[in-house]
Amino acid sequence: MKSNISKLFTSILLISVFSAPVFSQDRTIISPYISLQYFKNSEDHRYLQTTLTYVSNRIEFPLSGMEITFYTGSEGKDLLGTALTNEQGIATFDLPENSSLPKDNDGLWAFYTDFTGNDTIETVKADLLIRDVKLEMILSVVDTVKTVTLSALKSENNKDVPVSGEVVMLYVPRMFSLLPVAEAPLDDNGTAYIEFPSDIPGDAEGNITVISKFEEHPDFGNVERRVVIKWGVSFVNTSPAAHRALWTKTPPWWMIITLSILLIGVWGHYLFAVISLIRIKRESEKQKKLKIRQ
Amino acid sequence: MQANRKLLKDLTPELEKTSTGWYITFIVLLGFFLIGIYGLIQQIDKGHIVTGMRDNVVWGFYIVNFIFFMGLSYSGALISGVLHLFNTGWRKPVIRLAELITVISLVIGPFFIFFCIGRLDRLYFLFTHPRIQSPITWDVIAICTDLIGCFIYLYLSFIEDFAILRDYEDLRVAPWKRRLYKTLSLGYNGTPKQEKLLSTARKVMSSMIIAIAIIVYSVLAWIFGVTLQPGWHSTIFGPYFVIAAVFSGTGLLIILMWIFRKIYHLEEYITKRHFVNVGVLLTIIAAFYGYFTFSDYLTKWYGSIKMDSILIDKLFSEYYSLFIFANYIGILIPGIIIALPRFRTIPNITIAAVIAVLALWVNRYIIVIPTLETPFLPIQDVRSAWIKYTPTWIEWSLTFAGVAIFIMLFMLISKIAPIISISEMQEEDKEEILK
Repeated sequence: MKSNISKLFTSILLISVFSAPVFSQDRTIISPYISLQYFKNSEDHRYLQTTLTYVSNRIEFPLSGMEITFYTGSEGKDLLGTALTNEQGIATFDLPENSSLPKDNDGLWAFYTDFTGNDTIETVKADLLIRDVKLEMILSVVDTVKTVTLSALKSENNKDVPVSGEVVMLYVPRMFSLLPVAEAPLDDNGTAYIEFPSDIPGDAEGNITVISKFEEHPDFGNVERRVVIKWGVSFVNTSPAAHRALWTKTPPWWMIITLSILLIGVWGHYLFAVISLIRIKRESEKQKKLKIRQ
Repeated sequence: MQANRKLLKDLTPELEKTSTGWYITFIVLLGFFLIGIYGLIQQIDKGHIVTGMRDNVVWGFYIVNFIFFMGLSYSGALISGVLHLFNTGWRKPVIRLAELITVISLVIGPFFIFFCIGRLDRLYFLFTHPRIQSPITWDVIAICTDLIGCFIYLYLSFIEDFAILRDYEDLRVAPWKRRLYKTLSLGYNGTPKQEKLLSTARKVMSSMIIAIAIIVYSVLAWIFGVTLQPGWHSTIFGPYFVIAAVFSGTGLLIILMWIFRKIYHLEEYITKRHFVNVGVLLTIIAAFYGYFTFSDYLTKWYGSIKMDSILIDKLFSEYYSLFIFANYIGILIPGIIIALPRFRTIPNITIAAVIAVLALWVNRYIIVIPTLETPFLPIQDVRSAWIKYTPTWIEWSLTFAGVAIFIMLFMLISKIAPIISISEMQEEDKEEILK
């Protein structure tokens, strides 16, 4: 009877131990977030960018190595291509020349992106309507005032129409991020004039990069213009005084002298101890010889 | 050289025969050691990702253990050096243990640095391309110098015992052990000239070993002190580390005295007097250690430098229990136990020593980890696991392996040489007779 009970308990124990992983398998399905953005850079190169992430414990984590599909088309979806997300969860797709992209009746490009999901991640989709915009930036000196002239034209009914009332941001890149220089609202002619500050440090020759941008605009997406110009204050980047560090090739003399004194002192005493040991050994040999003679 | 037969038998219990208990203990410890080796293989195979160390907390358990073991070593050197130099009467049964703590800890400690290094294949760069300006180079020079010095010092203290064992005809040991005693005793016969030479060399080395222990542990403290990190950039880190090391070493000495007394029945040689004397030493050092700790944190807190304030807030919130254990319980409890005569029993003093040693290890942990979790540059939107350090089983296994090998080396040495100096005890015998 006792052995039956113990067998029963052993079986229950074994079953519970081995079945535990099966029951405890966490089958939580991830609900990811997807975002689609349109970019047009200074060289008129266009691309789409999809970001795929998920949130766990209120922290956003990227989903890398996922295949993202991109489509375009106003009536039906035409496949543009696919791309894999990188370590930041971003997949980038370069668009073909604008002439080959179909527009709808309002002159808008429709873009779609989707992630088809898998066993552990749900399917997600995003779409975007973009109107093409031509952003121009002219840098000139008017009566000794450095002036930035911005103009923007959008495409409507196959015509270029000035963009009015929208804001264009003006930046200068710095070490960690872009320094906002001005916010320029466009007038009815789609133009804005900005006085550029004259105290911004540039490189050794005074070069700085001026960037004008439509940023995450609901109609235009991200459109930018960049111009490099000698409008900065010349700044020679000398190494900061190394008063906190010892970057010289040779150590300071005081350090060499101190270390030498310490090491000579210590190792000298070691030598004395070793010599004493040798003398102890010699003394015993001497004693042995004396004994033999006697 | 002749020795008292009883003394010889009592102080070399494992020399002739090996007890079953010895084998069992050794196998258990070997098990811990092998688990550590398995962990190390995992780490070498998969990289440091298997540890809890990340971009921010680049120093974890390994550095904590390194500082801890090095501290034990320097304190062993300091204690044995001071006791020998000042010819303290009661030193004789404990001085050898302190010397052994010195050498064994010094051999184990640097291994934790090796575990911490990502590119071990470049280790030789430290010797081929040293930069005297770098505190790491100071540490390499200091540890090498200290290691050799401690070996010489330990060897000097063993010569007389090796000579006694060589000349003890009834000793039933393997022939290789006899040859070993003959070689290592250097033909020492206790002639007046040899005695004088040995005594002078020991005195010189004992004074030297005190100086080296202070300098070397200060160098280790300066690795932290010269670094511009919250909590580390402190002028008192050198003496603070030295005092803390002596505190832990004295505690360990008491623990080892208790273990060897119990296992090898050395009640006749290691008496309550020795426990009380070393215990009083522990209390005095605890007071100094408490003073340094208070002084360090008080000046930081009063200074109100932003990052120091953040660190102190962290110590009193996230690390509250560890901080209280290391800096209050670890100092006050041993002090109270030993200071009050009614509590001064051998088991109580040993418990106080265990608390002191554990508190010191935790103290090292809260010096290293919370500082690295409080970087000067704010880090946004980073996984908490990358900022917060949690040791993995691999780090735990290597820590236990370190403790295991420490005890194993003690056990192995007890198979070759006496763990209490026979020659010193013989002298004590003579002094007693003369009295």
